[in-house]
Amino acid sequence: MKSYCFRLRFAQLVVAAFLSGAGVLVFAASASESDGVRPNIVFILADDLGYTDIAPYGGEVSTPTLSALAHQGIRFANYHTAANCAPARAMLLTGVNNHLAGVPNIPEMLAPEQRVYENYQGVLGSNVVTVATLLEDAGYHTYMAGKWHLGAAPDKLPSRRGFARTVALMDSGADNWEQKPYLPIYAEANWFADGERFELPEDFYSSRFLIDKTIEFIDGNLRDGKPFFAYVPFQAVHIPVQAPQEFIDRYMGVYDQGWDALREQRRQKAVELGLVPADTSMARMASTGDWASLSAERKRYEAKRMAVYAGMIEAMDFHIGRLIEYLKAQGVYENTVFVFTSDNGAEASGADDPEAFASRRMAASLGYHTDYERLGLKGSYNTISPSFASAAASPLAYYKFYAGEGGLRVPLIISGDPLVNANTLTHAFAWATDITPTLLSIAGVAKPGPRYGGRPVLPMSGRDLSPLLRGEADRVYGEEDTVGYELTGHAAFFQGDYKLVRNGPPLGDGEWYLYNILLDPGEVIDLKQTEPARFQHMLSGYEQFTRDNRVMPLPENYSQTGQLLSNYLAERFGTGVVVFLLTVLVLLPFLVAYRRPPAESARNKR
Amino acid sequence: MKTVLKIIVGLPAVLFVVMGLRWLVAPADIAPEFGFVLGDGLGRSSQIGDFAAFFLTLGVCILMALVSGRRLWYYPPAMLLLLAAIGRILAWTLHDATFAGGMIVFEIAVGALLLAASRWLPERE
Repeated sequence: MKSYCFRLRFAQLVVAAFLSGAGVLVFAASASESDGVRPNIVFILADDLGYTDIAPYGGEVSTPTLSALAHQGIRFANYHTAANCAPARAMLLTGVNNHLAGVPNIPEMLAPEQRVYENYQGVLGSNVVTVATLLEDAGYHTYMAGKWHLGAAPDKLPSRRGFARTVALMDSGADNWEQKPYLPIYAEANWFADGERFELPEDFYSSRFLIDKTIEFIDGNLRDGKPFFAYVPFQAVHIPVQAPQEFIDRYMGVYDQGWDALREQRRQKAVELGLVPADTSMARMASTGDWASLSAERKRYEAKRMAVYAGMIEAMDFHIGRLIEYLKAQGVYENTVFVFTSDNGAEASGADDPEAFASRRMAASLGYHTDYERLGLKGSYNTISPSFASAAASPLAYYKFYAGEGGLRVPLIISGDPLVNANTLTHAFAWATDITPTLLSIAGVAKPGPRYGGRPVLPMSGRDLSPLLRGEADRVYGEEDTVGYELTGHAAFFQGDYKLVRNGPPLGDGEWYLYNILLDPGEVIDLKQTEPARFQHMLSGYEQFTRDNRVMPLPENYSQTGQLLSNYLAERFGTGVVVFLLTVLVLLPFLVAYRRPPAESARNKR
Repeated sequence: MKTVLKIIVGLPAVLFVVMGLRWLVAPADIAPEFGFVLGDGLGRSSQIGDFAAFFLTLGVCILMALVSGRRLWYYPPAMLLLLAAIGRILAWTLHDATFAGGMIVFEIAVGALLLAASRWLPERE
């Protein structure tokens, strides 16, 4: 009998190896041997979460659920993603570089000159296949509840990209308390459920609602024996920063010492946790304000802005905890793998002084207030300033939209009983495109070939992180392996422990710098002069990356904010202007004919 | 008095031309104003083509009536509007459609205005 079982198992392994490749086989076997079924996967994506915003990464915010997941799994200290939303999501869900997948930037920031290129549409191309499609085709139930932002056309909706049940926000963000846009570029907050327009319930709060829907989706099919893949891209902590009062109250007074104190406090904690070296230095951003020079009233206001931000993070953690409790109650927690990360680094778009006239007018034009007492509650437009965003990214330089570590390096936790290497911290480099190959490996599903679903698809450039999860390897990227990145001229090129980086205006100078990000994650010591050969070699590597990934040159005088404004005006008023001109064109001949004297008309007739 | 009547008749003509052009230029924006979202494939083709033709015909016919002084041009738009109003009432009574009171009143009012204009504005010699 033992021999029969062994032969049966051996036969299964051979077939699986044939289908999936040896790497996939080994993990799938180890993940599913304990109970004989494939693991469920919950992929949780925070929005704009900074590197040290959660407790397992040195944050003072209470995140017991994420701490527990980190304790049972593996924390990545050196994981990187894109510097803004949609490009990161494209890579996370496909394993393909965002430029090739059609999302070099969010569509709201693409210039008309860029849109002439097929891969510069800002929506997920048909030349890539999502992890959801692959898992669904492999027998998984696939669910999504949260922000999509990869295309709102009917064929781009998540319900057409592999997710069987969805409730999804199409925009770059939206209000957390009601169905309301957060920027004037949107006429409304565009929510869809299962491919149809959707109206949010009256008692909506984003983090609670998204977990409620996730539980509802999972519960609908829980007893049919098939595994599930649940993708939960939270709105937290994207602007507007909003949280329930009870969560805000826990952080009142916590940030009274200001952003410099918080940035240093988090740096020390990150050192204690082993995330960064003990001698990590920090660069002070030019956008960081002088806390000491603020009035007592402004300090009180700034501290509350950050308290709301912390409350929003804790609320997200609380609701993730509800999902885990549900899975435990249903007896499926033990066979579920959790992946938690952020799409990009901390957001610094908030005004320095939101109570200034211009900021209040902007908020008021959207139907918001910025009152201190009601900050973070329904109707309130709250952000954190660049100064506190710098603390959220501590000890890293820069933040969202920039290629500095603060924009690209974020938490990544992979956890769950099916994994074998619990309570581990790794400094291995990892990149956003690695998530999809890793999830496929966990599920025992092969990567797609050159064609999928009857059409050609691009190969995944991401790597399977499973050897790290199993503790069988220290790194999956070798010393010579490279990863490139570009966003509106901000650029990075990783090779081994080194990073070549260029940050453009307004904060950067557009020059290239070279850092060893393992020893100097704060990007303070430029090695360009001391290692010129490496600098030139990596510069050549970056040029090759731009050619291989169809990175197009930036239009002259391009700026992210300027383009956003220009696109807004074109979107909002462009159609009206065109219709007006055409109307004039149509009416003009009638007007001329009407004003011509009848006698002249008669003469012409004769 | 006749000039005032011509202006009153001309205003909906401009409105109809604008609506027809909006159907051609930005159909997804105007479709919700009629209570539906823009469809796909053949449905989208029919929606854009038929609605643009409907409104441009309305507007151009009224403008032709004003410019040429021929009352014959008032009849096609009046018929279109009055039949649209009848269609809406039948849709409400027979096919469970929403009762579009405001639209029905507008269509009947403008249709009647056009018939009145055809009677009161003199035929050009």
